[in-house]
Amino acid sequence: MNNVKLIARHFLKTVWKSKVVLPIYMVWLALVLYAVATGYATYTKQNELRKKYQAKARQSWEANPDKHPHRMAHFGSFAFRIKHPLSMFDNGMESYTGNAVFLEAHKQNTANYSEASFSTGLLRFGEISEAMLLQTILPLILFFLGFNAVAQQRENATLKILVSQGAAFKQIIWGNSLGLFAVGIIFLLPVLATTVTMITLKGNAGAASFIRFTIIGLSAIVFLWIISVVAIGVSAISRTSRSALLSLLGVWLMLAIVLPKTLQAIGNYLYPAPGKIQFQAAVEEDILKQGDSHNPDDVHFKKLKDSILRANKVDSIQQLSFNYSGFIMQEGERMSAQVYDAHLQRLLTIYDKQNRLSYNAAFINPFIGFKNITMAFSGTDFAAYRHFQQQAEAYRYDLAQTMNVLQMKYISNRKLSITDKPYSIDKSHWTSFPDFKYQYQPVNAVIKQQWVALVALAVWLVMSFLLINYIAVKAKVI
Amino acid sequence: MYKLAFHNFIRSRSVWVALVLFFTAGGISIFIGRQFLLKQEAAIQSVTQSQKEHIERNVKYIKNEFGLLMYYLKFAYIHKPAPIAALAIGQQDVNTNIQSLTIRTLEAQRYDTDLYNPYNLMTGNFDLSFVIICLFPLLIIAFNFNVLSSEKEGGTWPLVKLQSAQPLRFIFQKLSIRFIVVSALLFSLLGLAKCIIGIPLDAAFAAFSLMAFLYILVWFGVSFLIISLHKSTSVNALLLLSAWVLLCLLTPGMINNYVTARYAVPEAYNTLIKQRDGYHTKYDRNKDSTVQTFFQYYPEYKKYVWDKPSFNYIWFYAMQHLGDEEAGADSKAMHLKLKQRSQVSAAVGLLFPTTHAQLQFTNIAHTGIQQHLAYLDSTARFHEGLRRNFYPKIFGDSAVESENWARHVPAYFNAPVNINWLELILPMLTVGVVLFGIGVLVFKKVERGSTFNTNN
Repeated sequence: MNNVKLIARHFLKTVWKSKVVLPIYMVWLALVLYAVATGYATYTKQNELRKKYQAKARQSWEANPDKHPHRMAHFGSFAFRIKHPLSMFDNGMESYTGNAVFLEAHKQNTANYSEASFSTGLLRFGEISEAMLLQTILPLILFFLGFNAVAQQRENATLKILVSQGAAFKQIIWGNSLGLFAVGIIFLLPVLATTVTMITLKGNAGAASFIRFTIIGLSAIVFLWIISVVAIGVSAISRTSRSALLSLLGVWLMLAIVLPKTLQAIGNYLYPAPGKIQFQAAVEEDILKQGDSHNPDDVHFKKLKDSILRANKVDSIQQLSFNYSGFIMQEGERMSAQVYDAHLQRLLTIYDKQNRLSYNAAFINPFIGFKNITMAFSGTDFAAYRHFQQQAEAYRYDLAQTMNVLQMKYISNRKLSITDKPYSIDKSHWTSFPDFKYQYQPVNAVIKQQWVALVALAVWLVMSFLLINYIAVKAKVI
Repeated sequence: MYKLAFHNFIRSRSVWVALVLFFTAGGISIFIGRQFLLKQEAAIQSVTQSQKEHIERNVKYIKNEFGLLMYYLKFAYIHKPAPIAALAIGQQDVNTNIQSLTIRTLEAQRYDTDLYNPYNLMTGNFDLSFVIICLFPLLIIAFNFNVLSSEKEGGTWPLVKLQSAQPLRFIFQKLSIRFIVVSALLFSLLGLAKCIIGIPLDAAFAAFSLMAFLYILVWFGVSFLIISLHKSTSVNALLLLSAWVLLCLLTPGMINNYVTARYAVPEAYNTLIKQRDGYHTKYDRNKDSTVQTFFQYYPEYKKYVWDKPSFNYIWFYAMQHLGDEEAGADSKAMHLKLKQRSQVSAAVGLLFPTTHAQLQFTNIAHTGIQQHLAYLDSTARFHEGLRRNFYPKIFGDSAVESENWARHVPAYFNAPVNINWLELILPMLTVGVVLFGIGVLVFKKVERGSTFNTNN
């Protein structure tokens, strides 16, 4: 154990003496600060704007005078997506998800105005965030700093001396890995410090934010350990430090750049998803099958009318105790929402299948697993977006149905003549209907969604210990 | 001698492995581009078919109320991607190519996005432009990083210097062999793309090819500059890969972060709210003032009687139109902001070969933000055309059968091809010349220094 400590210390000393580490660390700090500054600015500005417009939309909702409730169902509302404080750390797929959606009766609108729709093709190179620096750049730096740890000692024969002096090869790998890992932690510190500062400053998500942050921090530590072991392991089995470097660069390119894109492209190819036009056509077709309220001869709505009259023991709509067209719209909304939801679930299943490849790849590629973890716990992954969409749709449905109920309750069935004042209800009903308020996902739900990535990271951790043993046995000293 | 060196390079097994690998990657990217086009084509066919059925069905049910019919009818307006879009999909997977519009408020419809899996968008398209911009440099680096250092480390460099009067020429010879091989790979991929996708041999394709060619030339310049420092193989590998990380990952990301943080687009949210309020609040206002405001924009419809006792559609469509008018200023401001964003990106992007190439590729392929903005602008004209066609029929209460409905097939947006050759070539050429120029100076300086040292 003492040997391990000695070797680790020696590694740190060598890295420090190499003179490259200080400039690299300066560049690293500059990148981290740039990511923090832009992340913080974007988060602050966007949330401020979105809250402002959510309030503005509410203001004009409440400013409506007395009117027919169905007019209000069409007036509708908006849902603005509020960013999670941890999105300052990892922007995830936020740039590609819509930020505002119009919520109205009869219709599920898309969430629009994503950052990507405002951007040039430069977005496709990726964005700089603290998470991206941890996931992509830091492993490369660790590979740079670690590639010649063992290989160079082999090249200049100091490895032989070390072993003859009583150091076990296993201890050499352990020591160097710990040394490199310590370097990784030094690089990690400014990231963790700035992130925790930011979420404390902008902590609208409370304690849950800190639990999320802790999980991200622990995952980052495990990830850096795995990277360190891979770097030292490759260095230990390479004949020369040059071949160690080339292998590690190849590994980095494969795992960090090529594989994530390729896997997703394969998933996309294997499970083609319909576009909006096809999707809407299919929804429309199914709704027509169920019944078309526009068609005067529609069987479903005719049957419905007859059964309603029979159940209420009346023989005309005018005698009903509730507003009939409010009832019809309630029924129509229920049916169309059901059809839409069934199609949406089918679409989401396809998306899930497309993404499954990337999720499961965490077992062969720790880079992907770590990325999935940071995105999910930063509230910037697909599940977080779905969570927003579900809340928006639930609010929309509730709004439409509340207005239908108000219509059934307060609007008469008697047809108005031209000279009559149109039916209306009191405007206090508008203010009593609550505003849309987005709630972040509870942490438990995120853990459930990400168990594959979390388990994969744990498996990698165990594997790293096995790898050290395996290499210690297999690799030759000379 | 040159021929021999060429054969020597080509004979290497690892060179062939690399070439086959890259050719496969390029082939896959072309295939992915083709899939993209096919998907777009399928969507266009689907919308053409469903528009026909949709119109027929509604015309059948709503026989005698033109205004009500037009509440429902949707008309498609399509930005059909050119075949070359398959090579640089750009933002076309984010921005919808097909708008299906009613004659109601346009601002409520034209920013509607397509349905997509954001994970796919985030990882991005593996298209040929990605292969050229991000992967080709890696091949170039792999071919070049030890061109000089391997001679030095293998101990053959003094021999080379002894045999050839100009060591620089020797290096250029080696680089040119690699350049020919990489160019051959590039052009065979472009040829493959041409055949598989059926891209016409036009100015756009020529511009794309030229850009790709200049781009790889620039990376040879980068390689040469690093080689000329006379560092060891490991240091070269480190420096070149750092250059790659800087140009392909960090710089574009930093530009993008800056633009996102600096230019928020609140105008979009304002447009969204104003189009709703602009239309809906008219229900609570005096009908006469609404209709009179509408007549200010369209005086030609004054002749229609609007205050009929039955539900009148002039008032209804006037309200709808005023939604657009009231959101108009914000919508314009939003487009202006987006243009500004795109201009800032392009101006900064000009300075770096990767960003410049990407923006030029999407520009050539019509898949950038400028083209999408042009399409959105044109959508407004399409919408105006629809309204002007249908307004008289609605307001005059024409018979539904009087319209030739078969005529209403989807319309197409044709983006003007606009290639600025000077802007395309000049930045790349300048960067290339500067890199090679500095490289030669550095090479000579280091060579002189080392000669001096050995003499000592």
